[in-house]
Parts: sequence; C-alpha cells; structure tokens
Amino acid sequence: MNKRIYILLIVSILTSSVLGQFVGKDHLSVSLFYMQKAELDSAKKYIDLSITDENLNTTAKTWYYRGFIYKELYKKKEKNNKTSPFRIISIESFKKMLTLAGKDEFTESTFKILKYEASTLYNDAARMLDPQNYKTAITNYAIFRSTMLLINPGTDLKSRDVKFKLALASMLNRPAETQAGIDSAQAVQIKKLYLEILSMDPNNPGANYNLAILYYNEAADIINNMDYDMDIMKLNEVQDHCIEIFLEGLPYMKKSYELGYKRRETLIGLSNIYYGLNDSEKSEQYKKELEDLEKE
Amino acid sequence: MLSKQKVKKIAIILISLLILNSGFKVGVDTNSKMKAIFIMNFTKLIEWPKSYREGNFVVGVVGESPLYSELTKMAKTKKVSNQSLQIKKFNTTKDIAKCHILYVSKNKSQDISSVLKKVKSNSTLIITEQQGLVDKGAGINFIIKNNRQKFELNKKNVEKQKLKVSSNLEALAFTVK
Repeated sequence: MNKRIYILLIVSILTSSVLGQFVGKDHLSVSLFYMQKAELDSAKKYIDLSITDENLNTTAKTWYYRGFIYKELYKKKEKNNKTSPFRIISIESFKKMLTLAGKDEFTESTFKILKYEASTLYNDAARMLDPQNYKTAITNYAIFRSTMLLINPGTDLKSRDVKFKLALASMLNRPAETQAGIDSAQAVQIKKLYLEILSMDPNNPGANYNLAILYYNEAADIINNMDYDMDIMKLNEVQDHCIEIFLEGLPYMKKSYELGYKRRETLIGLSNIYYGLNDSEKSEQYKKELEDLEKE
Repeated sequence: MLSKQKVKKIAIILISLLILNSGFKVGVDTNSKMKAIFIMNFTKLIEWPKSYREGNFVVGVVGESPLYSELTKMAKTKKVSNQSLQIKKFNTTKDIAKCHILYVSKNKSQDISSVLKKVKSNSTLIITEQQGLVDKGAGINFIIKNNRQKFELNKKNVEKQKLKVSSNLEALAFTVK
C-alpha cells in the first residue's frame, strides 16, 4: 500500500514539474522550448497553435520560427520527398514573415534558409525531368523561381529559365526520335517551350534548331499521312498548309546555320526544308555544302 | 547546402537532357508523295480505251527518280478501279514496255523524242517534270509554282494517245494547252 502511495506521489511531482514550467507561457514559447530540445513534432504542434492565436499570428517572430521548424522537419523527415509539404509550408511561413513588422531581425537568416530551400527545389526539379514526373518538376521549378524572387526581386533568372525549359523541351521531345513519336498536343507544348526560350534568348542555338525540326516534322507527318486517294482540291489545300509550316520553320533553321550550330544536322535540315518547299535548287545547294563538309 | 559532387551530378542530368536533340522524320519524300497522289488522281480523271481496262494497271518510270519507290509503296495498297497497280522501272528508253502511264524523270527529259516513238502506238499518258515538255509531246508536266506542286496539261497530246480527259482535270490544271 505504502509503495503505491510513493509511486503516485513521484508521478504527481514529475507531471506537475513538466507542465508547471509552461504555466503562463504562450504557444510560441512552448514551441521554442521543444525546438531547442530537437523535439520537432511537439515544436510543430505548438507553432501551429501559435498561428491561430490572434496575439501571436501577427508577429514576424512566430512566422519565422514556423518557417524554421518546418525547414528542420523537411531536413529530418522529407529530404527525399521531392514534393515535400514541410518545405512548402516553411517557404510560405517565411513569405508571410517578410510581410510583417519586425521582420528585419530575421531577414538575413530567412534569406539564407530560403536560398537553401530554393536550391533543393531546383535540384529536385532537375532530377524529376522524366516523362512520369515532369509536371512535378515544373511545379518545383516554379516554386524555386518565386522563392528566388522573394529573396531578391531583381534576381536575373533568365539563364536558369532557359536551361530548365531547354532540358524540359528536350525530355518531352525524346519520343519524337523513336517509333513512338509525339502527338500534336505534345508538339504544341514543346513548340511553346522553345518559343518561350527564344523570347528570352533569340540566339539560343538548340531552341532554334529543335523548333525548326518540330515544324519540319509536323509538315512531313501531314504529308506522310495523306491518303493516295485524296482529291486534287484537297491536296492543294493540304499543300498550302504544309508550305506555311515549312516556311514557319525555315527562319529558325537559318538562324541555327548562322550560329554555326550542329553544322552537319543543320545543313541536312536546310536541305530538307527547302526540299519540302519544292525549292530543289536551294535544297541541292545545302546538300552540296554538306558533302563538302563531310569530305573535310 | 549540397556537396560539390551533388551539384556536379545535377549539372550532368541537365546537360545530358540538353544534348538530346530531336531528329528529322526519316523516310518521307514530301515531293514524291505529292506527285504520287496527283498520279492517282490522273488515273481517275483520264479514261483509257477498253482494252487497257483489264490486267494490271502499269505505271512505268524511266530513269532515276525517288518517285519510283513512292509509287511502289502506293501500289501495295491501292488499285485503279479493279486493276492492280504495277510499277515498272526502265533504265533506258530502249527498255520501255507497254504501260498506262509513263513517268519520264528529269534526268531522261532529253530523251523525250525517243520516248514518244516508243509509245506511239500505245495509249500511254506521258508525264514529265521538265519545263517546256508539254510542248514537245508530254501529256502532263509537273511544275512548281510558288513552292507548290502543280501540273500543266496538253489535252491534244493526251488525246493523241487515244485517252479521254475529264473536264475536271482541265479545271484543276495550272495551264491547259
């Protein structure tokens, strides 16, 4: 009996001492207490309660620590999760913090963490550039982008944008090189990407070359799929349409030529496009140049 | 932050994606396909004498032309009315045998006179691809106008071969002589 009383007494003292230290403390303080003890789940629980507290959810400190705790949770639990919700919540919390009074105290540290998070997003975007996951890659890249601009609205992301879009377009265009091919909707999507790249970097050799090929292949596909029984009226209509497409692609292949990109392939490209345009003289001219090149 | 090794790995992923470039559609001879469709139309818009409406419908190609392989491809799936299509290649004008249509490739254009002699007694539609040949005996001549494949028609030359030209074909020709 005495033994039981002793145990109850000890448990009662321990409980009151643990809980006692939080008496009168707000959720933020409790969260920080757990954070310092690296008990991240408890820290998360209390920091989430803090943002529902009217007195705490307008202070930069609350949102900074929320961002910090979620960043730690990402590192500890979701490092390999390329769509980590913890990372997103962390960034969103920092974003909120940067809109509040009192932010200056935390700005430097916030930018450091955001830079780190942005770099993980960029790397995950690059790793996910495959046919199954590219949509997630696009989302990650978009978050990387907005995060970088949050750190510095003047950040020049042009070269990164070009690099990412080129890699994405190349990946999406890969089936075009195989029997599988690409459908017209995919071709439109890829063309849009190359056009976006060229609006940022008109002299981008890869985008010029690949866009020209997309146009060429589009017209060649139409011609290839024409039925031999097609009547002449219809044939003339299709011919007009294909000539327009060849003409659309021509300036991009010419640009690739000017830029000296993939000399051999570009010469084949020009010869093929002019052949499609029924301009045998020019087609032969580039074929000849190709032959000369191959003799060298 | 990421280690240098990891950064290098990411760079390799991006670069490897960048160097993969799309290729051209292979095996598409755009011009030959157009010409083959025109020829298929000619078989419907020109009438051959009764004696030519049985057996195979023969299309001959004189000289070297990518059209030969396109026509061969077409012959695998298409017929002219009930007649199976047969494509023949003649290396020289001496080799020319009886056919419904005879396509004279560009590199044999200078041989048009001997071609005409060879088919004189036949009902053969002569198709060429050299400017001026409709004035030298060809029934139809392929031309390029504004990047488009078109054709000229010499009705008299066609009728000389005892062939009937539909008015629709006349209407579709770029020029009719």
